[in-house]
Amino acid sequence: MSKAVLEDTTRCLGCRSCQVACKQANDLPAERTHLEKRRLGFQNPAALSARTFTVVTNHEVEDPRAPAGLRWVFAKRSCMHCLDPACVSACPVTALHKEADGPVTYDSAKCLGCRYCVWACPFGAPTAEWDSLAPRIRKCTLCFDRLREAAAPAELNGKAVPPEAQARMADAQAKPACVAACPTGALMFGERDALLAEAHRRIAGHPERYVPHVYGEKEAGGTSLLYLAAVPFDRIGFRTDLGERSVTVHSVPAMSAVPPAVIAAGGLLAGIYFLSRRRAEVQARQASPAKDASPAAAPPDRKE
Amino acid sequence: MHHEPVQAKLFTRWSIPLLALMLAGAAAFVARFAFGLGATTNLSDNYPWGLWIVFDLIWIALAGGAFVTAGIVYVFHGEKYHVLARPAVWMGLLSYSFVVVTLLADLGLPWHFWQLAVQMPEHSAMYEVSWCVGLYVTVLALEFAPTVFERFGWNRLRDVWRTWSPVYTVAALGLFTFLMSHRLWMAAAATVLFAVIAWLTRPSADRTGVPVILIIAAVTFSTMHQSSLGSLFLLMPDKLHPLWWSPFLSILFFLSAIAAGIALVMLMHMMVSRAFRRPWNGEVLAGMGRILLGALVVYYAARIADVAARGQLAGLSGRPGALFLIEILGGGLVPVLLLSTDALRQKKAPLISGSSVKVGPHDFAVMT
Repeated sequence: MSKAVLEDTTRCLGCRSCQVACKQANDLPAERTHLEKRRLGFQNPAALSARTFTVVTNHEVEDPRAPAGLRWVFAKRSCMHCLDPACVSACPVTALHKEADGPVTYDSAKCLGCRYCVWACPFGAPTAEWDSLAPRIRKCTLCFDRLREAAAPAELNGKAVPPEAQARMADAQAKPACVAACPTGALMFGERDALLAEAHRRIAGHPERYVPHVYGEKEAGGTSLLYLAAVPFDRIGFRTDLGERSVTVHSVPAMSAVPPAVIAAGGLLAGIYFLSRRRAEVQARQASPAKDASPAAAPPDRKE
Repeated sequence: MHHEPVQAKLFTRWSIPLLALMLAGAAAFVARFAFGLGATTNLSDNYPWGLWIVFDLIWIALAGGAFVTAGIVYVFHGEKYHVLARPAVWMGLLSYSFVVVTLLADLGLPWHFWQLAVQMPEHSAMYEVSWCVGLYVTVLALEFAPTVFERFGWNRLRDVWRTWSPVYTVAALGLFTFLMSHRLWMAAAATVLFAVIAWLTRPSADRTGVPVILIIAAVTFSTMHQSSLGSLFLLMPDKLHPLWWSPFLSILFFLSAIAAGIALVMLMHMMVSRAFRRPWNGEVLAGMGRILLGALVVYYAARIADVAARGQLAGLSGRPGALFLIEILGGGLVPVLLLSTDALRQKKAPLISGSSVKVGPHDFAVMT
């Protein structure tokens, strides 16, 4: 039972309601930015940061199937909430944590500010508060607090709230702010398995509309953000060089080898110590055989 | 083993620029906490570590001379090199202490450091390095302690040290094994093993040397964290050029630390004998040069074999290719040639270039 978000980029208008809703939900300040139209089109700001957990990217893609051969594609980017996240594996104090129901969360009370997570993440999701004297790591948390506390008030402005209105309000609360704000249904929130099934159903139903690939199903061991697109993902800013294995595939075996290696190193060093001491003794005895009084003496020519 | 105190003045003309450098460092340390990390380091989300951390890591590798020398002298019974042991341990203790202070300035929220003691993410290389370095510094301090006891004539304290430092060391190794495995039986196995070693190698009453278990612990802890510094990079094959990233980075880091550490110990011996008019031990240096030659050959053989096995030698080109060649030729071939004969090993030059062996993976070109 793991939650996920599916974005069907063919339904995205690029309105950036999700970007604004994210700022509101996380109470994030504005950024001083400028458009980089040549490089990024109408995307603004240029990258995720400690003040921007969600950004809508903007791509003009040449596509012969599109009217006039040009297609606009938008993608809502944020933390991918990997199934086996590099940041969680990197963190020396478990400040980053993969919740059982999907979100990758952060606890600044534990954080040392080492920024290993920032470096380890293949998606550039964790960011640091560089202008702060106590720089926390910031990133999307899939609004895990909203999901946990989703509940509607029984009474509003002195009037009882009818049950169906309560249900509607609770439902709006029980999804990330970006999903709740999406006006076109491009963003969907739900069980990861169900969303994957839905994504494949759409591809099968409209093979002319989608490239046959659900981004995030297998990338880097799978993520909790899933994407559908009309054009190949490498043309809309997605990394396609990550492979299907989790990024922890090399580090976990290396770290698991540490405790046995401690024991092996101790045994080996002790062995070397006794062997080299024995050899030094034998050499000393060879140098002065008259002093040898040990009853269990080894033959003088014995090599150890 | 009798140790001759330094007779010359400790403050030389070289101390002045070094003192200035330390003052500049102290000013930078204060500025870091007054103005913040971003304002003082120019680091960003694209370059969250930068050269700063990489230089820290290089210094740790160079400080590997402490465990290599102690290992050669006490574990391999290389009595001839005894003269190098104390300076090497002192150098190691200084280096690690400085690195810890530097890292404090590099952490964003260093006052949360105690969280390392209450969380147990055993698969985090950073966690392993933190604990391992922390415990190793205490073992280094215990290794160095007899020098202090001798200097001030604290014989009672020395007796306490001789009895209890092995106990502490065994406990530290057991604790470390538990933290990294979360398994009591494994921690128990390590504790019993090291306790038996400590008992079998206990110093007899007439000997004043360092308990061997301290040296074994020092080598073990060093092996673990020198290799885990390489493991830090295992999570990010995408951030390093394939000429530097390898699934065997842990082993390569460990091997390179041995070579770099020996080189620095030799360099230090030469500088100290010159600055403080201490005897120049040509024979000892030549012997260390031989060991360094072996360490260099092993490291660079492993390095080249690794790159070749991953099929990266064929596509050697551009800036990364040039840097790789500089590393192999300048850091490997040149010192190997300079150290290759007995006659050459009596000279000074090889050792200086030898200490630059640890180039380390620092190519951030792949990062956007």
